[in-house]
Amino acid sequence: MSPRTRAVALRVLPALLLLALALAGPWLAPHPIDAPVAAPYAEPGGDALLGGDQLGRDVLSRLLAGGRDLVLSSLLVAALVTGGAAVLGAIGALRPRVGRLVERIADVLMLLPAVLGILLVTLSWPDGGRFAVIAAAVVLGVPYAVRLAAGAAAPVADSGYVEAAAAGGERLWHLVLREVLPNLRATLLALFGLRFVAAVYLVATAGFLQVGPQPPAADWALMIRENSSGILLNPWSVVAPSLAIGLLALCVNLAAAALAPQSGRKAVTVL
Amino acid sequence: MAGPLTADTAAPAGPSPHGEKARRSRAPLALLAARVGLVVLKRATLLAVLLALVFVTVELLPGDAADATSERGESAADTEARRRLLGLDRPVLERFWDWMSGLPTGDLGVSARGEKVSDLLSSAFPNTLLLGGLALLLTAVISLALGCWAALRPGGRVDRAVSGTATAVLALPEFVVAVALVLLLSLWTGWLPAVTLTDADGTPADWTMLILPVLALTVPQAGWNVRIVRAALADEARAPHVETAVLDGLPPHRVLTHHVLPGALPTITAGLATSTGMLLGGAVVVETIFNHPGIGSVLASAVTDRDSPVIAGVTALSGAVITGVLLLADLVRDMTAGGRR
Repeated sequence: MSPRTRAVALRVLPALLLLALALAGPWLAPHPIDAPVAAPYAEPGGDALLGGDQLGRDVLSRLLAGGRDLVLSSLLVAALVTGGAAVLGAIGALRPRVGRLVERIADVLMLLPAVLGILLVTLSWPDGGRFAVIAAAVVLGVPYAVRLAAGAAAPVADSGYVEAAAAGGERLWHLVLREVLPNLRATLLALFGLRFVAAVYLVATAGFLQVGPQPPAADWALMIRENSSGILLNPWSVVAPSLAIGLLALCVNLAAAALAPQSGRKAVTVL
Repeated sequence: MAGPLTADTAAPAGPSPHGEKARRSRAPLALLAARVGLVVLKRATLLAVLLALVFVTVELLPGDAADATSERGESAADTEARRRLLGLDRPVLERFWDWMSGLPTGDLGVSARGEKVSDLLSSAFPNTLLLGGLALLLTAVISLALGCWAALRPGGRVDRAVSGTATAVLALPEFVVAVALVLLLSLWTGWLPAVTLTDADGTPADWTMLILPVLALTVPQAGWNVRIVRAALADEARAPHVETAVLDGLPPHRVLTHHVLPGALPTITAGLATSTGMLLGGAVVVETIFNHPGIGSVLASAVTDRDSPVIAGVTALSGAVITGVLLLADLVRDMTAGGRR
């Protein structure tokens, strides 16, 4: 293992551990998430290590159970956004006219703040539930990702072997999937990390604004919203889920930064 | 228009410094006006397309405002009556035209409860703009200061500390930052108010009530923009004219302010302009936490009522604000690029 690989692995590890904990959390919870075990906003102690929430439910159990859906939704959003942006970016690099159209659509969607866009979709589609949040996050994430993907795909699309394949009469799909995208692996992996960070932000914010998971579901963002009035009685009921979301965002972000391809530039020495 | 042109041709040929200066300052005036017009037209078109898209989104997704506000056990006839009252039974194209043609005059349509959306937002939106504007200003100051400080010694201790902190905070959702700030600066130390109280005229009662919401908005955006400033400065520092300035023996801070920063300005402005959308979205969240009297509270009730016309109106307004800021960024880019060409 080269020093660089080891450094990257070290910075990716915390994110993987946290993700694994969030995914396995529901099985580790010591108490049911929907039955009171203590007084409302009870202080930590006895049966409830982190105290009780607004209804006296165990904060620790809800904390362990409340991350899985957030992580799964975010992973799905990040995968769809990265995949969509990669294909659109590669097509755009191969067919400049499509590229310009995609660019214009991205310009339009940039005018819509993602949080407002999510509210727009979830309110216009009340029965959409979690699917509405995911769909909105994907549509609003692609414009930001497609710029990066198109920028990375442009030099590959101009390279000799792609031109040779195009001259050989290969179809567009073959060019995109077999010639261009395999050469963007490193960029796409970093893009996936970045989009996962953005997806955690969006899905958590949707939960906080009460358009995502509905009570009595355990969800970190919803826990912060529900328990904020008892923050002085049992601070852990708010601090614990805040720390969980903060740590998740931070670890994944550091992992994404470590995965980003080194540009090969020399460190700037003067200034 | 003919004046500058003739003056330009009358100027002595050759690279005399005086003629060069005159050409730069006067000749492109007409050109500049044309370019500004073009940029404005382009941004306006994009905004119009977005507004159409918002209408289509609300229209295409299943359910409308009449369905959304129906009480439990309400008969289909009642819902139908309200649909007629709200004008939702008219043809789509007619309603589309009504909505779009009303927007430039400030008419944002009617909420599901039958109130005018513009009335709902007229006192709230300025409060949100104040919050977002202050946060944008603070973000600009912090990111420029920290970015430049870090850039003075690339790879040094300051650079690593600033870049590391920026990377760490940029992904934090605003409500997590807000919880931390409230605990630290309000509940445990008692320095700042944890909730915003309003005067009779609907504005925050005291300026200290703005500090925590603005900080909660600023921290993640400052993280983004410090990185953008730092990267833009590093890119520009590789330019040949900067190397010349360094070899001329100019002190580092002068090289930074006179040779590196001007070239990096377009990227920095574009980054800040992109933050506007994030700030407006984040403001909705932060206002709910601090009970700040902005669009956040209006939207919170819109969420409970499933009131899509209100959110469409807010989207239209914020789209217009973002368009304005992006327009400014475009103009800054054109100005600086024009001087360098």
